Amino acid sequence: MNYLLKKENLPKFLELLKKKFDQVIVPVKNETGATCFQPYSGQEIFLEARTDFSAKEFFRPAKEKTFSFKKKNSSYEIKPEYDTAKKVLFGVRPCGTHALNTLDELFIKFFGEDQFYSNKRKNTTIIAFQCNKACENGFCASMGTSKAIGHDLLFIERGNDFFVRAETEKGTSLLDSALFKHTSDSEYSSKINCENELDTEDIEENLFSNFNHSVWKEESERCLSCTSCTQSCPTCYCYTSNDEFVFGSDNESERFRVLDSCQLQRFTKVAGNHLFRPSREGRLRQFVLHKFSYYKKHHCIHLCVGCGRCITACPVKISLVDIANKIQKHSLEESK
Amino acid sequence: MITPEKPELAEIISISQDTADTKTFEVKFVDKSVGKKFKFRPGQFMMISVFGFGEVPISISSSPYKTNSIKFTIVNVGNVTNALHQLKKGAKIGLRGAFGTGFPLQKFRKKNILFVSGGCGLAPLRSAIYAVQEKKSEFGKISVLFGCKTPENVLFDKDMKQWQKEKFQVLSTVDNPNKNWKGNTGVVTGLFKHLTFPPETTIVMMCGPSIMIHFSLIELRKKGFKDEQMFASLERLMQCGVGYCSHCNIGNKYTCINGPVFTAKDLEKLPMKEN
Repeated sequence: MNYLLKKENLPKFLELLKKKFDQVIVPVKNETGATCFQPYSGQEIFLEARTDFSAKEFFRPAKEKTFSFKKKNSSYEIKPEYDTAKKVLFGVRPCGTHALNTLDELFIKFFGEDQFYSNKRKNTTIIAFQCNKACENGFCASMGTSKAIGHDLLFIERGNDFFVRAETEKGTSLLDSALFKHTSDSEYSSKINCENELDTEDIEENLFSNFNHSVWKEESERCLSCTSCTQSCPTCYCYTSNDEFVFGSDNESERFRVLDSCQLQRFTKVAGNHLFRPSREGRLRQFVLHKFSYYKKHHCIHLCVGCGRCITACPVKISLVDIANKIQKHSLEESK
Repeated sequence: MITPEKPELAEIISISQDTADTKTFEVKFVDKSVGKKFKFRPGQFMMISVFGFGEVPISISSSPYKTNSIKFTIVNVGNVTNALHQLKKGAKIGLRGAFGTGFPLQKFRKKNILFVSGGCGLAPLRSAIYAVQEKKSEFGKISVLFGCKTPENVLFDKDMKQWQKEKFQVLSTVDNPNKNWKGNTGVVTGLFKHLTFPPETTIVMMCGPSIMIHFSLIELRKKGFKDEQMFASLERLMQCGVGYCSHCNIGNKYTCINGPVFTAKDLEKLPMKEN
């Protein structure tokens, strides 16, 4: 079923959602001017383009408590900490929905459910927002991620209205309000003409077989190891596990998953301070190969949704699209 | 609900000081039903929690035929292992696992076995050596080669003597000998000249620093060993053990789930020198 919602009624709709959910998460401009997702409390909603930061924070947060340990009579009480709050995420772009779909492959389907992730995922209703134009550095058309996937509701801008399409029962149940007017219209286009294009044919093999291509060294020479790429990426999930004592207590401690970055030297450090990827070249290659080669081999899906955030965020303008295309071109010439 | 990341409580029941910086901890699951179900293969590792300090991946150094208690041989090198070294008998720690592939010993029947180890790399191999010792009649000749920095770093003295009694060939070498050292000097690959059995019927299991594995493979290939006969256990600092955290990622493999034991044939396909 399809509906129309007057744009001016969006805040009213969000207020209605607040009554149904513990948290309503929306795209906004934050106090620093960066766009990101935040809990809704009447702020102005940012819908002009994809946000600088993805909604990853609500599924794989930068820091997430996983266990609390309490010492009791020389033994320990071990308690997992699951986030079971009911949330609704409004305004996720198609690439954002694909990012979640990609992470589901690892954290839900691969080894068995990772409860820390799957609890958040199951308890979050997704309202996707269709893009009508390409965004800066985005290449979703090449990655096949221009159309939302796995969402409950889809919002599309249409003149003074939002065209609203329910995809699941969960989604339909949110439309029981007079704000939504039924419409027989069902057409919508998800074709986006991205300026940035990536040739993905045989990319996993070509990148890996060009492990020693000169482009890795050339491009990595200006890398600052600032980790902007992995932080802004909606699918970068690599983490470290850290324990901390509860401040001021000697018998209570907590375990956290802290997002880590393959761009840092310490990421591969083992006992005796041995590093397996000491150079920037090796680390940049790890980032790109994990995206387009390694993850695909395990999970049959690329760990990149073409949002282009890593390219925009990079202070020295290193582009994984340029790197990959250079190697793709080289492979094509070689095969001739 | 099952979470692969939830540690199971275990108690330290004995501690032995192996060298100045290395201790072997014998532990037992607090929940007896967990202990009863527990099984592992030599070469597998477990995640050990010291609550409040963190978790580290450590290979099991005891026999897979004696799972009543589990032993870990641990060098004091980082924050978590240092915290572990402060613990006394009776202290509680957390255990998860066993993780990884381990050595496929059932495929090695009737073969001669060559163990090559460097430093604390002998610890994971000891589990495999015990297993071979237990079923001695199923295997051919056994050789244990061990290299370490100084005579003070030599591990498992008692075991070595026992293995010699079992008629295993046991050879050790040190990089820096002292006056009392009567054994060999130099790197472990220098011991290969003492090997007596033919490569064709021999399986190699190795564990040690990556540089040792690298040169051992080169030297053994020269002697006629094929890549599919050689197995190496690799070191990476896993944070999860189940393929989630990506710290142990080498090429398209995760050391925690696809390893830590790889055949030399697997290693050939992996970017081992990533620089």
